[in-house]
Amino acid sequence: MERDCIDDCVILCRSCDLVVRKRALPSGARALCPRCDTVLYDTPYCSINGMLALCITALIFLAPANFLPILELHFFGSVRTTTIAEGAMAVSQQGYWIVGLSVMLTAVIAPALLILSILSQILIIKYQLHNAFFRNVLKRLLAYQSIISQLSMLEIYLISILVSVFNLSDFADIFLGMGTFCFSMLFIVTLFLQREYNLEHMWNMLDE
Amino acid sequence: MNNLNEKAQGKAMGLTACPSCNKLNEIKYLRCSRCDTLLLVRDTSSLQKSWALLITAAILLIPANIYPITMLTDRGRIRYDTIYTGITHLVQSDMFPIAIILFTASILVPLLKIVGLTIYLSAISFRLPISKKMLMVGFHIIEWIGRWSMLDLFVISITVALVNMGQLLDAKAAPAATAFALVILLTQMAAKVLDTRLLWDRLESKDDTN
Repeated sequence: MERDCIDDCVILCRSCDLVVRKRALPSGARALCPRCDTVLYDTPYCSINGMLALCITALIFLAPANFLPILELHFFGSVRTTTIAEGAMAVSQQGYWIVGLSVMLTAVIAPALLILSILSQILIIKYQLHNAFFRNVLKRLLAYQSIISQLSMLEIYLISILVSVFNLSDFADIFLGMGTFCFSMLFIVTLFLQREYNLEHMWNMLDE
Repeated sequence: MNNLNEKAQGKAMGLTACPSCNKLNEIKYLRCSRCDTLLLVRDTSSLQKSWALLITAAILLIPANIYPITMLTDRGRIRYDTIYTGITHLVQSDMFPIAIILFTASILVPLLKIVGLTIYLSAISFRLPISKKMLMVGFHIIEWIGRWSMLDLFVISITVALVNMGQLLDAKAAPAATAFALVILLTQMAAKVLDTRLLWDRLESKDDTN
């Protein structure tokens, strides 16, 4: 019984192992570790239906963002276009497959996995699929969540599109297309999705 | 609950947080009661792993900076650019904001990351008397900003895919690209594998109020 009490009102800082007493927070506030300033927990702000809507929107933008050209280059009449994956392939074909692989992983695969993983978690929780199989899937997905969200680097890719535009506009004419728009939208939707998502809260839903 | 004083370590109270889901568990259990992950009170081997990754990254930082990272063919003339000369070309063509972004992402961040992690790991290994709070703030900054080094690789992949018009104008990646990618990967892993709780245990004898 004493253990239950400790479970509910005490938390351990994951960075420095300090025992911290849990307190209720006003909405929008975050609790930091008093000793090392690591984020301990914040107010659960994770509405299942809101996240479902964001997930579906992100899924809609995912395909065009990856298959439509993100940049178009006009140089003395010849036109070149590229998608994210083609950029990764081009580097790989010159023998730098580590570079190609990391571009592919961080800009294409990880964002797609992130969205699909959050979508499946939400569906499992929303439709209360409580049998052993789905609980196991949910556990696995939650365990991999933090590594996937660290690998997904949409914001950096967006900035590098801008940098490339400035870089190349010296030589040639650069045009942004529908693909660039879809990619920016994908970035914005994913940003909001990650703001809304709270791993701690999702783990608690597994307990219920 | 009575012994819950201000500066207690979870370990001293017989409690530990699950490495995967952060649930509170008693040390006597082998696996987390919520997600079945193996409980590790302290990952002592993580210090060695982190040192190994960091030293490899520091060695790779040299080829990443002295070898060319891109090869540009402009009307038959071939020009090799290292990370540094690429940035000086940007400065010469009056693109200061872009030059600053690229300088930060590809020179400053990797260097600071390696120096910062070296200080951090030495503080644990050799018990240096450095303020733990400052070290931890630095560590959080390193964790957050480290990803931004990928910027240069993304720019290279976009440029290489777009600029391929034979002798007229052609961009290719060059050997430093692989070394640079590995520097980013290894430093990120070095920060990721480290069990930061070791810092707060090891320096316990020293003054830890700041």
